[in-house]
Amino acid sequence: MKRALLAALTLVAVAGCAAPSDSGSAPAADGGIAIDQALHDSLPDRIKASGTIRFVTDASYAPMEDFAADGRTIIGFSPDLASALGSVLGVKAELVQGNFHTSLDDIAAGTYDGVLSSMNDTAERRKKADFVDYFSAGTAIIVQRGNPKGVTGFKDLCGLVVATERGTVQADLLQRSQRGCAGHPMTIETFTTNADALVELRTGRASAVLNDYPPAAYLATDARTKAYYQLASTVQYEPGLFGMAFAKDDPALRDAVQAALDRLIESGVYTELLQRWGVSSGAIATG
Amino acid sequence: MWRAGKNRSGARTSARLFAAYAVASLVPIGALGALMVHGTTEDAARWGRDQGRAQAAVIAEMTVAPALGGGDLSQGLTAEQRERLQHSTDLAIYNDSVLRLRVRDFAGRVVFSDDGTTAGGVSITDPAFVSASAGQTEASLLSAPELPGGQVIRVLQPIMASATGQSVGVLELYLPYAQIAARLHQQMTQTYWRLGGGLGVLYLVLALISWSTTRSLRRYAQRQAHEALHDALTGLPNRAAFHERAREAVAQPGEPGAIVLVDLDRFKEVNDTLGHHAGDELLGVVAGRLRDGLRPADTLARLGGDEFALILPRSDAGTVRRLLDELSAALAHEVVLDGVPLSIEASFGVALYPEHGRDVEELLRRADAAMYHGKRGASDIVVYAGEEMAAHSTQWLVVQAELRHALARDELVLHYQPKVDLRSGEVASVEALVRWQHPQRGLLPPSEFLPAAEQSGLIEPLTAWVLRRALADQAHWTSTGRCWSVSVNVSARNLEKPGFAEFVAGLVAEYGTSPGQLLLEVTETALAADARRAAQTVVDLSSRGIGISVDDFGTGFTGMSQLLGLPIAEVKIDRTFVADVLDSPQSQAIVRAVIALAHGLGSRVTAEGVETADVAYWLRRAGCDEAQGYLYSRPVPWLEIPMYEITGAAS
Repeated sequence: MKRALLAALTLVAVAGCAAPSDSGSAPAADGGIAIDQALHDSLPDRIKASGTIRFVTDASYAPMEDFAADGRTIIGFSPDLASALGSVLGVKAELVQGNFHTSLDDIAAGTYDGVLSSMNDTAERRKKADFVDYFSAGTAIIVQRGNPKGVTGFKDLCGLVVATERGTVQADLLQRSQRGCAGHPMTIETFTTNADALVELRTGRASAVLNDYPPAAYLATDARTKAYYQLASTVQYEPGLFGMAFAKDDPALRDAVQAALDRLIESGVYTELLQRWGVSSGAIATG
Repeated sequence: MWRAGKNRSGARTSARLFAAYAVASLVPIGALGALMVHGTTEDAARWGRDQGRAQAAVIAEMTVAPALGGGDLSQGLTAEQRERLQHSTDLAIYNDSVLRLRVRDFAGRVVFSDDGTTAGGVSITDPAFVSASAGQTEASLLSAPELPGGQVIRVLQPIMASATGQSVGVLELYLPYAQIAARLHQQMTQTYWRLGGGLGVLYLVLALISWSTTRSLRRYAQRQAHEALHDALTGLPNRAAFHERAREAVAQPGEPGAIVLVDLDRFKEVNDTLGHHAGDELLGVVAGRLRDGLRPADTLARLGGDEFALILPRSDAGTVRRLLDELSAALAHEVVLDGVPLSIEASFGVALYPEHGRDVEELLRRADAAMYHGKRGASDIVVYAGEEMAAHSTQWLVVQAELRHALARDELVLHYQPKVDLRSGEVASVEALVRWQHPQRGLLPPSEFLPAAEQSGLIEPLTAWVLRRALADQAHWTSTGRCWSVSVNVSARNLEKPGFAEFVAGLVAEYGTSPGQLLLEVTETALAADARRAAQTVVDLSSRGIGISVDDFGTGFTGMSQLLGLPIAEVKIDRTFVADVLDSPQSQAIVRAVIALAHGLGSRVTAEGVETADVAYWLRRAGCDEAQGYLYSRPVPWLEIPMYEITGAAS
């Protein structure tokens, strides 16, 4: 059922992608999202020339970004948001699978135009890139179903193997939490993708995985995964903002996306997309 | 022989029916078998594909994906990836667990194959490749004549190289089918045997059911057919069967034969007096005697009631006559029913074919006519002799119907012919003669309708009517001073009817007439027909004072002995003797003898048909008592009969 729902939503998202390139000013074709010509004009020339904004993402973070059943299409809140932003800007905005922990370097190198991968907007990262915040979430602890190690909070993680994705705020959080495990440290293992970290937990090599709250909740409730995973608690640790990252030398794109996001928030499209993916708790007000 | 033929053809029909059932049920059985075999084959193929798919999934997840370790295939494989893949697939290839393995990117490029070549592989436009590119696993059975088993399973499935579920390319895998095929073959063989056995048993059961059904149907049909064509009482062929066989017999070219109708005389009385069971028994006896007297090729049928019919094929008129004489004689033997001895008499009406026609209906009509002709006459075996006979019988039906209405509507009238005393010349008595004032045909003499009435039982109401009217008229004329007695003709059937004497006596009393004033005229042949019954009635009537007159005396074959001892009041000499009494010495002798005989028995003698005064004179001289004829008066309404003395000379 859920899968069918996801597929339907994917279709909607795909339709959202296609519309702007087909007809410049046909708001009705994309759920009422109209092109803002001024914003389009404000885009960097290379974007206008290619007509595409390429966001890098690690698609292993349902429901934010994840691979569909075909193994190739990326679906979730993030691609839908990108599509809607593209509609406002009059370009195509797409998500490309890549490495999370190298993504900021990749955009600095110009490999991609931005990062849209549930990335927390942190002070440290702001040194490398500019952010347009679009979501708010804290970190959750995921354990095996049944919670065999009896984890209820960070203090219980001491002495256990904890896995997480490389370069995430969760990896940083774990490092910082290590201080609380005097003489009884956690074994922190980081992986290229979040999926790899979950494999460790699923196979029992790790006792817990740290994720942002929305994907963690999704894992604990989705029919395909809830048999293996559950949340250690409902607490969200260190709530923070997710931001789309842009290269420091690309303020025009950053500003255009910020303006487009504001437009989506004002028009209610943003809220609707949050509802579609069941992540309304992560809503932010106009930036 | 007929029956045997019928049975054989019945058995043939039922065998055909059974064969039809067998063939018809073979079709659904065959269809069912084909469907089940097809289903099993389908299942086997699906099972084969599923096996292949499952095997491919394991290979992809346990061999290929770990070897690739994620990464983008479009960039080609690293040396390390290639070596890992090679290493992990070699053993499977060596053991023939996998026949061929290719790793392809979405553009179709072969980035790895077990034999190192980049050539070959499924086209990227192939639906299976397209489908695998879109995340679906596609397995299919391909023919591979060069391989053992002749088939190979090809599986195309997406390579989900990492836990993210990202598909990086398409795995093209060829798996041996021989082992699966062998197992499938074994299973199929088993299934075929079971299926064949099961369907065979099913077919056998169906066949048994249909065999038993057709058999009981055939028996039922035979019984029905027999009942439809046979009379339940005697077991003889019935009217329908008779018609069928008669048609067959008549249709034989160049073979003369006869259709004979047999009707028992006075069967109704047996039924009425002894009861229906006696009647049924009598019919059984008659049927038996007739059957015994017939030849094997002849057919005896009961058409209904006391009416039987015979088909006598391959017989000329003489043969038919001889045969019927024998039958008649055989029937005449006395039979005792309920302790009552009876003599059976039957009338035979014969129509010969092709002489009298080739149409069964026509032959039957003619035989019928002949039979009724016989019933009226003296002969019990009558061969059809022309349209006159036929005309009678058909006309009779009309007449009988009309006569019924005539009685109801009072269309009958009585005329009277006086009998004159030859010595005094006075009217001594009158004979009542019935006439029918027919609305279309005018005034009809009795000869036009009496024979028909005689045969139909209408004679009884008719006689009753005549008696009432005559007695009523007599009362009238007596009141006007005429003291004529009245004569009424009664038929043999009247005399044979039990209780007739009482009935007449009752009427006489009802009209206040003196019994001596009523005379019943009976034909000589009526007295002869069933002497016992008629004689008893005559005795009963006489004992009640009612006179009996023997009509038409001399024409029948009444033995003198039959009249002996009967109280006969009057003997009427038939007109044939009277007509030529002046010229024929024989007639003179007969008339004289009759007069002498009648007087000797104490009877009065009346001469009929007196037309001339000379004859009247001769008769008076010969000692005749009374005379009747046109010389005196035609039959007229009684008011027109002169009261005064009439003589031939006077008129």
